[in-house]
Amino acid sequence: MAGRVTAARRSLPTYLVLGPFAILLAFPFYWMLVTMFKEDLDLYNAENVPYVYNPIQWKFWESATTKHVEFLFTDTHYPDWLVNTAIVGIAVVVITLIVALPAGYALARLSGSWGQTAGIGIFLVYLIPPTLLFLPLSPLVARLGLQNSLLSLILVYPSFTIPFSTWLLMGFFKTIPQELEDAALVDGCSRLKALTRIVFPISLPGILTVVIFAFSLCVNEFIYAFTFISSTENRTISSGVPNELIRGDVFFWQSLMAATLIPSIVLALLYNTFLDRFIKGFTGGAFR
Amino acid sequence: MEAHAASRRKPGTRRWRRALEDRRVLAPLLIAPAVIFILLVVGVPFGWAIYLSLTDSIGGSLKGNWVGFDNFTNAWADDNFRKAFRNTLIFTLASQAIVLVGAAVLSHYLMSDFRGKWFIRLLIIMPWAAPVALGTLGWLWIFDSLFSVINWTLGHGLGVVDSSDPPQWLGRPNLALLSVIVVHAWRILPFAVIIFLAGLASIPSEVDDAAKIDGATGIKKLLYVTLPLQLPIALVALLFGIVFTAADFTVVYVLTQGGPFNSTQMLTTWSFQIGINSGSLGEGAAISLYLFPLLAAVTVAMLFFAKRAQVS
Amino acid sequence: MADVLDELEGGSSTLTRGDLLKRGGAAAFAVSMFGALPDKALGFYGPLKYQNKQLSGELKILQWAHFVPSYDQWLDNTYVKEWGEKNDVEVKIDHINNALLVATASSEVAAQSGHDLFWFISPPSSFQKQVVPLNDIVQEVTRKLGPMAKVAKKSTYSPKTKTFYGFPDDYAPDPVQYRRSYLQEAGVSLRTWEDLRKGAAKLKQIGHPVGLGMSNEIDSNMLLSSLLYCYGGFIQDEENRVVIGQGANRKGAIEALEVMRDIYRNGMSDEVFAWTAASNNQAFLAGRLSVALNAISIARSAENSGNTALSDDTWLASIPRGPVMRLGNEHVMGVFVIWKFAKNKEAAKKYLVDQQLGYREHFIRSQYYNFPAWTGAIKGGFKTIREMTAQDTHKPKGKYTILTTIAEKYTTNPGHPGNTTPVIDEIFQTWMIPQMFAEVAQGKSSPADAVKSFNRKAQGIYRKWKNQGLV
Repeated sequence: MAGRVTAARRSLPTYLVLGPFAILLAFPFYWMLVTMFKEDLDLYNAENVPYVYNPIQWKFWESATTKHVEFLFTDTHYPDWLVNTAIVGIAVVVITLIVALPAGYALARLSGSWGQTAGIGIFLVYLIPPTLLFLPLSPLVARLGLQNSLLSLILVYPSFTIPFSTWLLMGFFKTIPQELEDAALVDGCSRLKALTRIVFPISLPGILTVVIFAFSLCVNEFIYAFTFISSTENRTISSGVPNELIRGDVFFWQSLMAATLIPSIVLALLYNTFLDRFIKGFTGGAFR
Repeated sequence: MEAHAASRRKPGTRRWRRALEDRRVLAPLLIAPAVIFILLVVGVPFGWAIYLSLTDSIGGSLKGNWVGFDNFTNAWADDNFRKAFRNTLIFTLASQAIVLVGAAVLSHYLMSDFRGKWFIRLLIIMPWAAPVALGTLGWLWIFDSLFSVINWTLGHGLGVVDSSDPPQWLGRPNLALLSVIVVHAWRILPFAVIIFLAGLASIPSEVDDAAKIDGATGIKKLLYVTLPLQLPIALVALLFGIVFTAADFTVVYVLTQGGPFNSTQMLTTWSFQIGINSGSLGEGAAISLYLFPLLAAVTVAMLFFAKRAQVS
Repeated sequence: MADVLDELEGGSSTLTRGDLLKRGGAAAFAVSMFGALPDKALGFYGPLKYQNKQLSGELKILQWAHFVPSYDQWLDNTYVKEWGEKNDVEVKIDHINNALLVATASSEVAAQSGHDLFWFISPPSSFQKQVVPLNDIVQEVTRKLGPMAKVAKKSTYSPKTKTFYGFPDDYAPDPVQYRRSYLQEAGVSLRTWEDLRKGAAKLKQIGHPVGLGMSNEIDSNMLLSSLLYCYGGFIQDEENRVVIGQGANRKGAIEALEVMRDIYRNGMSDEVFAWTAASNNQAFLAGRLSVALNAISIARSAENSGNTALSDDTWLASIPRGPVMRLGNEHVMGVFVIWKFAKNKEAAKKYLVDQQLGYREHFIRSQYYNFPAWTGAIKGGFKTIREMTAQDTHKPKGKYTILTTIAEKYTTNPGHPGNTTPVIDEIFQTWMIPQMFAEVAQGKSSPADAVKSFNRKAQGIYRKWKNQGLV
């Protein structure tokens, strides 16, 4: 009993600092949660207390409603967009790992001094905004017959996930003691075998980090998603939601909020779970 | 060693395997897929974009007549462009300053164990988890000109502002600038916290123990032990935060459309208005390209600084 | 360390985690390329079929997501299917948010591949070189229906190249929508801009400010440039030269800027600088605004919301008169183009002609939002249109007949008295007009300076497009 009290007292400054930050950061999501169940007449009344569900005239049983969320799932292609986003994300993560793992290893172990310069070169890729690139990329996409197809995104997205992932993995590989690999080599293992059988499994935390970041970069992307795919059922959530739920000058706010909250919660839960594992898996010195 | 291994294999593959052992062959081989991919999907379009910026191409056409550097000089002459250039710097530096301080503090306290840690961390991660276009739409609703929950709280709730004429978070230039900076910082902060946590986890326990022996705990530890050791990782987080913010298009596009009266335009959104929506593709490409030397200079400076500041 | 070596000794036949990862990745990639995913992954629209009959052609159309969702539903599920069956063509129609029409069009032009028919919300003058001239079908329709509306001609005809680069499909008049009870209470009239300028303060006093936007969005662009017409502050002349910095135009522009500044200072709040295209709708529907200038989406949304107190009190009027004239812009000018790289140009042309000839149904289904570009598409012209609008049952009865008056007499194209050139297009797309008005209203610039700087920029834009040969 006494132990718990002193433990709590020790954590008090932690709560005092983290609490407000967490509230500020998560407030917009709380707000989305409240908004998505509001009736139109309740929502579009500026006098109403926005934090509660206000009865409309005397019909107090109609205060909160799920009809906007239902609308999202039945009258729009939202489920399709969720599936498409997942497909693109997973495919891109796989491609990224296939390309970035060897590259990261090579830069960490085998390249000596020019590995550092390559590290700088990697950043330069991000300095070119997609608003500039989507036009020159359009003929490439068209010539490959990928217009209006998820494959166009799967082709293009690795261009911004690979550099960052390579850099991350480079850092991780540098922390794995050279002795592990050398021991394997002594026993007659080729470099490639050492790579796949020893290094990659140990760098699982790094791989998980790459998965999180690459996936989040894919889900966030907007411009390519909007211009390469024009049929609504092929869109991802990033382009489908603003396209369908904003019609001319009408915003379907409640459905928009629901559409944002659902993937955010799911992804945050996923990331949070992976985060634990990757931090626990650290064995001394990741970014030296 | 090699002979022992070689004797187990067929003779024909010996030369091939020996080649693969040579790091001069293996290294480029492993890096090749990444480099080829980047060259094709980023390098070629980038080269094309540079070509476009030197032409007078319009309307999505990828061909045009040569105009030299006219697009660049014309852009500079436009005061909306200069504002966009300045704003790109302001948004990036201000939001990343907030992110850096916030992430340093948050990650320090998130290292220790306490009840509710998993849940608090979940809340902190959420801004990064929301797709940026959708999260920004949420903020658009929060800042709405009529239904802003902030204004309702300040007006009807606390009575500190006039409810019939509340502050327009997206309607007055300085408030709009502030709103954009807040949204940028909000969405990058979790990302930086994660990177900082990774860096903190890598501090060897000997350092921790030494600090405890020397009596450095809490704030003292933060200032004299944690922060200096975090410098390289902080620079990494700062670098990516800068890049993701300066090259971002979605936040300003969704939140303010560059308004009020073009006072929150960034290079990315302004180049979109000119190059795509107005059809002056060459000009738009030139405006976009102003971003490159800006960020390249920052990047090189920071990486140089990072190398020198590396703690052994 | 020992277990690692053990694993190595185990021989090369056991798969390690690393191997599995690689193979799994390859498999997933293969599946996504060829396998279980349905058509959507490969971008086909499925076999060309309609009611078990193979169709021989395909037509791909892209247009905006109409604010009246029932129009799109009817269009997609009934109209194009029937037309397709009749003409042996499979029609696939996509809708996108109007804000990104131009970006998508640019992408298709860059790719030289995409849809056959592309609809724009405003005349796509910067794409003139990428499209097929449509003089032939314009002549065909004109022969059958009579001349097209003036606003349509100025929006799709290029006098320099003497071609119709676009086929005008529809336009939406831009009425004032106001709360009659509030205007009566404050004793304000909307006959002239002077009336509104004088009465704005009273409206704000009763808690219902005026709602005329000065933000980076389409409503502001349209209403502010209309205000400029009313005061004679024309940006272009008939020859499409930029003239706003000279003589009467300059004077007119300065007056218009002053009017708006006064209306803002006395009768509006800061919200008008922070608006999206939906904001004036929302503020009006919340009961706050007394006056707004918008296509009929506000009135229709009021009716759909079930708030009869609000919708019965929402009346329509034409734009107030200025000292020089009473004139407004169309809110939407729907123009179709056929890309040079379109695969089925014949079907595209036939579709456009057929649609215009049968536009009566479209007019009704869009709840009078879409006026046909050829008034003769509705037999009897404006007279019949007036009778149709009079039949709308919403109160006050006959409130939509003013739309006909506005369409007939008070609607013109951006760039009046000239055409909607790429110069006007760029001025609109970069929000130069709201910027000019807002800077004056917020006191950041004097009217004279604002006009001078606007003129300077506009002249630069004019020179640029002149060099392209498009103006």
